[in-house]
Amino acid sequence: MTTAHHQDLEPNDPTRSGSPVPSGNSARLSQNEIEQLCLKAARGAGMSWGLAEEAGYAAAWLAMRGLDGPGVLLAQLRDAMDRDWHEICPVVAPGRFQAADGGCLCPIALGSALCDHAGLPETAMDETALRIGPVSHPVLLLPFLANLASVQGGCVQLDWPRGTVLLTAEGGVSSAAGMLATETRLDAELSVHGAAPDDSMQPGAPLFVPSATLSGLNAFALRTTVPASEASRAGAGAAVGDND
Amino acid sequence: MNCASLTPMPEAAAFRRPPSQVMRLARMGSAHPTRLSFLRNLLRRVTREGWTFDRPVWEIDDKGVGRAVYRAAGPDRTYCLVAFAHDLPDEMRSDRVIATAWDATFTLFDGEPTTADLDRLQANVPLQEAGRISPRELSLSRANRSVRLFAHVIERLAEGLQPDVAEVEAVGYLMRTTAVYGSGKFGAADRAAIADRPELSAPFQAEMLSVWLTRQFTVDIAEHLAAVRGGAKAVRLDPAIRQGLGVGNSTGLGMAPFLVRHPVLLNNWMMAREEAIARVRSQDTADPQTVAGFRAALVEARENAELWHSTHPIQIEKLDALRHDLSRLANRIADWPETGANRPWDALWHWGESELSLEGQEALLALMLEPHGDLVDGLADCMTADERASFRLDGAMKVAALSASLAEHYDWALATDFDRPENSARFWYVSEEKLEPRLGNRFEEDGATLEQPLCIARLARELHSALADWPDDAPLAAFLLARPEHRFMARRAQIVRGHPYAEVHDNLISETMLPIDLMRCKLAFFGASRFDPRSDKWVRISLFQGLPYPSDVTPGGWT
Repeated sequence: MTTAHHQDLEPNDPTRSGSPVPSGNSARLSQNEIEQLCLKAARGAGMSWGLAEEAGYAAAWLAMRGLDGPGVLLAQLRDAMDRDWHEICPVVAPGRFQAADGGCLCPIALGSALCDHAGLPETAMDETALRIGPVSHPVLLLPFLANLASVQGGCVQLDWPRGTVLLTAEGGVSSAAGMLATETRLDAELSVHGAAPDDSMQPGAPLFVPSATLSGLNAFALRTTVPASEASRAGAGAAVGDND
Repeated sequence: MNCASLTPMPEAAAFRRPPSQVMRLARMGSAHPTRLSFLRNLLRRVTREGWTFDRPVWEIDDKGVGRAVYRAAGPDRTYCLVAFAHDLPDEMRSDRVIATAWDATFTLFDGEPTTADLDRLQANVPLQEAGRISPRELSLSRANRSVRLFAHVIERLAEGLQPDVAEVEAVGYLMRTTAVYGSGKFGAADRAAIADRPELSAPFQAEMLSVWLTRQFTVDIAEHLAAVRGGAKAVRLDPAIRQGLGVGNSTGLGMAPFLVRHPVLLNNWMMAREEAIARVRSQDTADPQTVAGFRAALVEARENAELWHSTHPIQIEKLDALRHDLSRLANRIADWPETGANRPWDALWHWGESELSLEGQEALLALMLEPHGDLVDGLADCMTADERASFRLDGAMKVAALSASLAEHYDWALATDFDRPENSARFWYVSEEKLEPRLGNRFEEDGATLEQPLCIARLARELHSALADWPDDAPLAAFLLARPEHRFMARRAQIVRGHPYAEVHDNLISETMLPIDLMRCKLAFFGASRFDPRSDKWVRISLFQGLPYPSDVTPGGWT
């Protein structure tokens, strides 16, 4: 739109806010890097900023426990592309957070809704289990269920036909989470338990993120950026050199 | 945060300035470093705890190329700055993020590095953003020489002479850092991994330690090169001249969004500072020793204001006002405090508010804190933030309650008409080309659909308007299920309820908004002085100028 006449005046910002790793590489990422990259990727894939924050939080939470949060989030973002919000957000009723007919829930949307309703009757699990689903990439729910556990003041148990995962209010998660991570779509039930899990996923080294995952997330994240224009280059920085 | 719980002083509450006064950009953009600033906090700790400093590795050749290690040993743990010195041709020297080489590169190592660690770091740290570090490292940074002053200092020292004081004062530093990354950037340790260590729990302590040790390096490398050139004739830098050298820093728009992205942290910084000045104002009397400390601080501030230069029209005007204000303040306190005066500090504060410019008022704040260490230094422990604790939304809150809360805490935003072009003239975005934050003109440039959520005033107004369509007793959880686009702002609006200083009370997309105001506020909390804007988006500052060096704290370890 604009043609500015300051082509030699480039932005002069010394700090970078982009991807931590150039495309084509794999790397061990810090929590902060995973959270920020996944936030940007989720936004680039079309989530609202507030939900993208939840996505970044969830991916980093999983990574801290040795689970491949970035990889699962990338799969989720790809699956949910071009789908309307009403297809992937839950229909909420007491005792059930379910998809509209034929739909499949986004685990970030479902998890956020469960946490938002944590102090409300809709998530009461006093007598009967809370039915959820079908939800895609359900391992992404776990960070939210840990939050739910802290509000409910006990452990939250997720049961699905092939397994059970326990989450504690302190953020502990039983090792069956690894099995849940292989599921791509399921219906499940949530209930509250007093007993803590016998075993739990331990924080390990920073998560190794393969180049394919990084490239995929970077590609989504890049959709939040604006291509350069002469005006943006001209307006952003100092007009003097640095050899003074 | 509840600072009162640490050292209860409830009588100070009545003297606190309200957010509506404190959180305005023009005032934030007049902020001065105080004794609560992060680098001052670091220096108090290393002194109090008897930290020792030395330089166990100095493998720098005659061209000034090689590596060095600076060791900081505290009571519980040791940290080491690993420095790599490079021979950089002038044509490659750039402060911009796209630079690929620098005069020196650094990392702060957690513990004492082995030779294998140094070799690993040597393969990565000089590459900066293109390399990777590990959880054993706490920061990643680089610095460029001030070409003119660096050459002058080496030339003079090599000849056995001291540098020209006017030259030294005109620049103020031998090298300037162009980025200091911490908190998990490029593979470094996450903040969460170190936040429970007492020496690193306050904000930016690892970064400040890294920059302070870097300051030592800037002098060491200059003296080294002078010795190479001058041989037996060469001398070392006069300690008085040396003390006047800080570490420079260049900062651009990348820093500006930080305060907006970290509302709880911003609140805690502001609240600690405001509690500090409120405590001083609430004192019934001013004892002679404190008054003497205040006078001494004013003398220093006036000297600093004389040495503080800028070529930017905005800052020139502000500096003129500051010098004038400090002169008036000196007159005002000639016979102060008057005998029998009640609450003399508060009276002086009120005088300042009615008589001084914003620069002068905020300078007065810093000066009034200076002689009151016993009263305010503990507040430095209140400046950290557990952001995770306020992340989760309260979905049970009723729509009416959130709406009323917005009306109370965002009254400064709700009245703004964003259909008027001057009120939405700009948009914040990240550039695809350089992956750096920029500020665009909404009506002249493409890209506003990719706007970053820094337009808080407009987001607040949009949320308030959307809530009006919902029943008062509907829970926020139901609203957010239907309107997920408001989740970001709803979270902030709930945070502000418990963190009154969390928001900048100005429109960040206004035509007249100055990004350097945000940067100055943050840099003042770091402890930066000599704020020198190069444009409305780009600034140079100095860190640690006039303060001791590690080699002053431990004189023996530097041969």
